[in-house]
Amino acid sequence: MLPELKEIFMTPYMITFFVMVGVFMIGCFALKWPVGVSMLAAAFCGALEGMLVHGTSFSQTITDTARMMVEGEFGYIDTILTIACAMIFMKVIEDSGALDALSSLLIEKFHKAPAVLLILIMFIIMFPGMITGSSTAAVLSAGSIMAPVLMLLGLDNVTAGSVIAMGGILGMIAPPVNTAALVICAGIDVPYVGFTGPLLLLTMPLAILFVLMLGLPKIKNLNYEKLKPALEKQDATRKQYGFKIYIPFLVLVVLMVFFKVFAARIGVTDLGMPVIFLCSAAVGLFTGRKINPLKAVPAAIRTATPVMAILMGVGMFIEIMTATGVRGFIVVTCLKIPEALWILACCISIPLFGAVSSFGACSVLGVPFAYIYGTYLGGNVVVCLAAISLIAAVGDMMPPTALAGLFAAQVTGVKKYTKILVKCIIPIIILLVWAGFVLVKSKAFAWSVFG
Amino acid sequence: MKKKGLISTCIILCCAIVLATVTGISFNKKRNFVEDIVVGSNVKGTFKLDEYNENLKGTIGDVDVYVLKGEEEGGKVLVLGGTHANEPAGHMAAIVILEQFQVSKGTVYVIPNICQSGLTHNDPLEGTPQYLHFTTKNGDVRTFHFGSRASNPIDQWPDPDTYLHTSGDWTSAKVSPDVNTTQTLSGSEVRNQNRCYPGIADGTVTERVSYAVTNMINTLKIDMVIDLHESSPEYAVNNAIVAHQDALSLASDTVLQLGDRDILLRIEPSPAALRGLTHRELGDYTDAYALLCEVGNPSQGRFRGYTDEALAITGKDPCYTDAYAINGGALLYVDYSSGDFPLSLRVARHVATVAQLIDSMNFEVDDEARSVIVDNFPDPDAIKEFYDEMVAADDLGLYLN
Repeated sequence: MLPELKEIFMTPYMITFFVMVGVFMIGCFALKWPVGVSMLAAAFCGALEGMLVHGTSFSQTITDTARMMVEGEFGYIDTILTIACAMIFMKVIEDSGALDALSSLLIEKFHKAPAVLLILIMFIIMFPGMITGSSTAAVLSAGSIMAPVLMLLGLDNVTAGSVIAMGGILGMIAPPVNTAALVICAGIDVPYVGFTGPLLLLTMPLAILFVLMLGLPKIKNLNYEKLKPALEKQDATRKQYGFKIYIPFLVLVVLMVFFKVFAARIGVTDLGMPVIFLCSAAVGLFTGRKINPLKAVPAAIRTATPVMAILMGVGMFIEIMTATGVRGFIVVTCLKIPEALWILACCISIPLFGAVSSFGACSVLGVPFAYIYGTYLGGNVVVCLAAISLIAAVGDMMPPTALAGLFAAQVTGVKKYTKILVKCIIPIIILLVWAGFVLVKSKAFAWSVFG
Repeated sequence: MKKKGLISTCIILCCAIVLATVTGISFNKKRNFVEDIVVGSNVKGTFKLDEYNENLKGTIGDVDVYVLKGEEEGGKVLVLGGTHANEPAGHMAAIVILEQFQVSKGTVYVIPNICQSGLTHNDPLEGTPQYLHFTTKNGDVRTFHFGSRASNPIDQWPDPDTYLHTSGDWTSAKVSPDVNTTQTLSGSEVRNQNRCYPGIADGTVTERVSYAVTNMINTLKIDMVIDLHESSPEYAVNNAIVAHQDALSLASDTVLQLGDRDILLRIEPSPAALRGLTHRELGDYTDAYALLCEVGNPSQGRFRGYTDEALAITGKDPCYTDAYAINGGALLYVDYSSGDFPLSLRVARHVATVAQLIDSMNFEVDDEARSVIVDNFPDPDAIKEFYDEMVAADDLGLYLN
């Protein structure tokens, strides 16, 4: 073995890394455990190996491991609550007939201009992500609403899921709220000012390109008359309940816009996405078909449980990676490659780390790369951070966590999420090339800094 | 099949209960652990921060303010430690100051745990130790918190998606009405003590503490406030003093004086656009010179390796050694050529900086009635002597009572 490789691969950190990844793979693929449970097992074994090798006593190792695993489990508690409540909202609007009615309405109004309809749908999917900074919120709210519309227009469920997933990750990056950029800003003490322009520049062209690229070939010969019989059920629901069936959507949009955009400026406390979803769901109980909340809520939570478990596992995994030094080892190894290849390291390592968590990737790798491109290489800090946040968003497509991809598969009824990932590979490559180009040439895009 | 499922459910539930009990005891102990501050004859009194914001009464933010008062009236200095509880040099330096400084003229107020809530928990996902231990000259072992950058969610939760910082009801002739004092920050920053200044009287517990500090400075007419921090070695603002524009000349003098004695510091002007920080808001909304001191902390950065109490105290880290080797150390903003950056050195830098800032303030205000004299440091050479001894001893316990 070459001395340099030996130096990298024979460190205690590398051994801990192998233990964690190995246990995770065995759990996932050999023992067929759920992803969340496999991550828990990987974190536990990594902690034992890492701490004992570093000379920590057995009793201290056990107590520290237990503490850190619980601490890590709570790392994503807010996201977990949002997911649980979003799933309840989704179940209610599905059961009430609101989804059917909205699909029928949109197709009737916009069927003559399919390209415009697709772009409109894309922006609707992105909207909740834009004001919450979360792809999960986008996919589970607007994505779930638009899924039947896309499928009725003629998109197969994999393509519809791909449009929704890409809309979700572009929505979480588009302004005004970009949580990924905020995480990096907090890491390097940069105010979240001036990001609107670069984020619009980075996301909007891609949004239009992706939705047309994926969707237009499927619907350019849309024949509304032929489609009408398939919309019978939806039309009937719409006529039966009239305007009131849309009220849950209106409540959701009004509460989101009010609490995310205006509330803080007039001194009103933010209700938070979980409560907003629950309020909208509660309204949905009275605006359409009859729903039994005692059945709908447990069903929704059962659907969300695997993803919530993944997030808890992710929290434990990152905490133990950090405590055992694996996190630092990965970051420093990425930076050890020649300077000319840093952009490749950035565009590959950040999305790959997103397999664990995209926000985790922002904190672990996004911050060091922001230092490098914004400070060390003298780029425009705002543009660099915006570009890195877009690269990090791809992490929400990376298995096993793949929040945007998994939920997009769920709302479109795709059994195997990997089909959506395969369909999205070309858009993802285009996204990474675009973001990488803007990152390297950040100074040339300094004119876009405003807002 | 059903019976088998029931048995496995029971086993999992039992494991969860055991885990919750074991970790619950650990979290509860940390939440309620009180650090022993050993007050000497140099401390002439203490008072609670709620004297400057009654909304703090009964909250975790109602911390003690230690008063080091000289025989002779003079100027007033406030030292803040523990703003970020994962930056132990800031917290420990404030404790060393309150236990060691002998003030003969003027008053030095010390709050070593300004974000007490942050001391009572650790940051999720960061895998940090809970406590630091030091053995004193007498052989006593003293235990201190290693905490979180932010207040404990038990005290304020949930975080908003984004935090909109505002200056509340504060107004100042120094701040033009055209200046935008609101700022959008990451949601978790709502629990960051150093993003909540000048504070809101009835806001979150973090904002209430900030309000009390601002009000205390204005009410007591404090001349200078120094906030002690640490930063990741890869962070550009490192081994530096960040100074409000009104305090730049004073900070420059300190940097020059210490530089002449081989204690190298950089000076950073406080960015006008970055709101909520001590060096910006306390400079804008009070008449005090507002300064913030940073020193490199390897146990805080993203390049760090195995993280435990030893790393926080010795600052010895192979990953940072590797990072320092990349491009001739250009990625780091501290000299990591020795392969460590011990806590004793980091605290010594802070103590020396505070002592020199007091000396420079006396020179800057040039008014006997507003000067502060610390007997330990009659001149800058004494500061250097103290610094060298502390660095050479490499044992913080020797500087604790």
